[in-house]
Amino acid sequence: MVLTHTTNHTYTHPFPTVTLAFFLRYCSPQLNPFASHVLSTDTIASHLDGATGRLHTTRIHLKKSRLPPAIMKLLPASLTGGAADKASYILETSVVDMREGWMATESRNLNFVGVLSVVERQMYAMPRGARAFSAGDTTDVETKVVFRSRLGERIRGRLGGGGPVQAQTALVDAENGSGGGGFLKRLGARGIQRSIETLASTKTQDQLGKSREGMMIILERLRQTGIMGVLELRKMARERSLQPAA
Amino acid sequence: MSQSLAPECNELKERYDTCFLKWYSEKYLRGVGTTNNNECSTMFKEYNTCLHRALKERGIDKLLDDAREDNKDNDATLMGRKKCKTPQRPEH
Repeated sequence: MVLTHTTNHTYTHPFPTVTLAFFLRYCSPQLNPFASHVLSTDTIASHLDGATGRLHTTRIHLKKSRLPPAIMKLLPASLTGGAADKASYILETSVVDMREGWMATESRNLNFVGVLSVVERQMYAMPRGARAFSAGDTTDVETKVVFRSRLGERIRGRLGGGGPVQAQTALVDAENGSGGGGFLKRLGARGIQRSIETLASTKTQDQLGKSREGMMIILERLRQTGIMGVLELRKMARERSLQPAA
Repeated sequence: MSQSLAPECNELKERYDTCFLKWYSEKYLRGVGTTNNNECSTMFKEYNTCLHRALKERGIDKLLDDAREDNKDNDATLMGRKKCKTPQRPEH
């Protein structure tokens, strides 16, 4: 079961600025009020390929979960990590090629993959005909999000004897333990997969709009104050947050 | 940037992020220094030493390994094609 969602958008900002905004988008809630669900951002790898001039970056973001609390409550603790506030680790990889004028990004969740896997791929590009390192006025972006719930498949995988993991066992135990065939069995794995995919897809479409608005705020800020202004703002916001509450 | 997932790495992260953003906006985006980004590498090393400890403690390093394994299967089934190692500019 897979749900795919594709959107296209054109930013009225030059390509280099858009790529900078991409790296800055979770910078601070003061800069991007639409990023308050992002709890942390870390760079785990950064590599510039000298031959191609491409910059490869890998980051991990911790975000408040996209799955509704009602669904999270139904899932066994071994799948959700048992934490009260469910947060997702998101792995983001990006490649920027300034010579050719494109940036490819991919984000996927690292935990809860047994419940739902969300893979978002974006391709930012200068409009055709624009020359590298020359600032065209617009940037095109295509966003493709693929939702896939593997809840049932995991159960089948286990029953079929293929590659069991702890989470699968817990899920089956949770089913058996609830009596009368279990909640999951009654509803049917496929129905649940579909529900989870649809819910997540609807939430993501809302989120995509917000994420775009967040990018626009950063782009505007960059247009007004430049990167140094943004860095200054970020520093001020950070110092303020470090001050002990009176 | 926002916080590090490990509060003890915040200082090192801040230093690296600032260095990276300056290098990125002032050099890379202008076509200067597109062959190396060594100027932030010492800061990155320090930050990453701290971060890796935290990733291990939280079991995230294992999640990363799983993701790498999963990617191969996922990409084949989800996208119906093999993942491009070097992304190409899409044809419009």
